[in-house]
Amino acid sequence: MSGPDGSALVVNGRAHPIDGVPSHERLLDTLRGRLDLKGTKEGCRTGNCGACTVLVDGRSALSCLVLTHEVGDEPVTTIEGIAADPNGRRVQQAFLEEGALQCGYCTPGFVVALTGLLSESPGATAEELLTDLQGNLCRCTGYAAIVRAVRTLRAEGP
Amino acid sequence: MGFELVAPRSPEEAFRLLEEGAGAASVLAGGTDLLFDLDRVTTAPRRVVSLRHLPWRGHAWQGDTLVVGSTEPLYELERDGSVAARLPGLHTAIRAVGSRALRHRATLGGNLARAAPASDLLPILLALDATVEIAGPAGTRRMELDRFLLASRTTALRPPELIRSVTVPAAPSVYLWQRVRPANDISQVGVAIAHPGPAVYRIAVGGIVPRPRRLPGAEAGLLSDPPPGPERVRAAEEAAREAPFPSDRRATEEHRRRVVRALVERGLVHLAGGAA
Ligand SMILES: Cc1cc2nc3c(=O)[nH]c(=O)nc-3n(C[C@@H](O)[C@@H](O)[C@H](O)COP(=O)(O)OP(=O)(O)OC[C@H]3O[C@@H](n4cnc5c(N)ncnc54)[C@H](O)[C@@H]3O)c2cc1C
Ligand code: FES
Ligand code: FES
Repeated sequence: MSGPDGSALVVNGRAHPIDGVPSHERLLDTLRGRLDLKGTKEGCRTGNCGACTVLVDGRSALSCLVLTHEVGDEPVTTIEGIAADPNGRRVQQAFLEEGALQCGYCTPGFVVALTGLLSESPGATAEELLTDLQGNLCRCTGYAAIVRAVRTLRAEGP
Repeated sequence: MGFELVAPRSPEEAFRLLEEGAGAASVLAGGTDLLFDLDRVTTAPRRVVSLRHLPWRGHAWQGDTLVVGSTEPLYELERDGSVAARLPGLHTAIRAVGSRALRHRATLGGNLARAAPASDLLPILLALDATVEIAGPAGTRRMELDRFLLASRTTALRPPELIRSVTVPAAPSVYLWQRVRPANDISQVGVAIAHPGPAVYRIAVGGIVPRPRRLPGAEAGLLSDPPPGPERVRAAEEAAREAPFPSDRRATEEHRRRVVRALVERGLVHLAGGAA
């Protein structure tokens, strides 16, 4: 499905027409405000917290720093669609088992970012994964359990 | 705060769209700096010209020189093992920029055009003697990065000119930075050292005003290979004395001087085969 000028945004496998979306609108606002996908969170809106992380063509992106119309035909995956990805399911399971969340506000960003890392760098060690997760902040400072979840994932292998 | 967003397919079309927009058109690459500005209304363009369809992405080695298209996302350089092996200082500096998610989109050209005093890429590119290829309606011109950077957020670009590529000669190199948080934070200072040949050291520092710069005074004292302890100390002291450091919300002038002294010495030890 696409709009009259052909522009569509593909999110979690579904195409949404976006010709009515203003040029200056950010992906974060389109996802939450128009598509009612509220799993993606707004923390800082300046690229500093990672709460708004989604995958664009399989790679993590800060949706607060991306114009919706700049996504083009690259598919977007949000936390709502992450379970369709086997790595996404593994990350969710690891977070569940380790209880890696307190208020949960940062969790979608962490789960999406980690899913992207596992797909991009299947051979990454736990330490490497943790280094590349440094852009995700947890305001509750519940890092210990998040670190455990990452180690659990690596212990079971790629 | 609306604007028209256009994505030309050729440089010529981009120049035309920028010229038509005269003064009220902005360039968009990865958007990691521009979208921040747009929110703060320091920039209120009527037209935004996206570079995403220009054929400038990619990077390649031409002999011992790396040529990077301006719209190449930083992550593409980060994941290329040849960049880590032949330009280790550049690789470290790239990894210092924001987070992985940011580097998936942020471009090298955008960082240069932004010309931020705290940029992590400018010091290492200065030390490596990078050149900038500038494209405009009348053709292209090349310029040493040192001449391209004029002041904080000011470059030699004359609208509608665009950065087309950046050329970086390979050299043993190191980049060391200091900041409060490792990721998504801005460096208080950054020290870059390239060692392109016997007893040749090029030192540049960032986190200073009005822009990152080379430190010829510190470089001039390094005459031996590898420089012995006292020579390293003198160069480090000279570096800390030479650069005009600001005091701002990130660090005081005194802190910056102390850290630069330590980082210059550490960088020289690293290049001589020690640990960084
Ligand atoms: C949370 C966060 C953390 C950051 N951390 C760091 C850090 O640690 N170190 C660091 O160095 N930087 C850091 N930055 C800044 C860094 O992301 C940018 O400098 C980035 O490299 C700019 O590239 P871009 O493609 O996103 O540029 P854009 O935002 O698209 O453009 C930036 C500017 O350059 C112009 N421009 C872009 N491309 C061209 C071109 N080809 N020709 C002419 N003009 C052009 C644009 O008009 C605009 O004015 C950070 C930014 C954020 C948001
Ligand atoms: S809301 Fe996007 S990084 Fe914080
Ligand atoms: S669990 Fe509350 S912000 Fe991380």
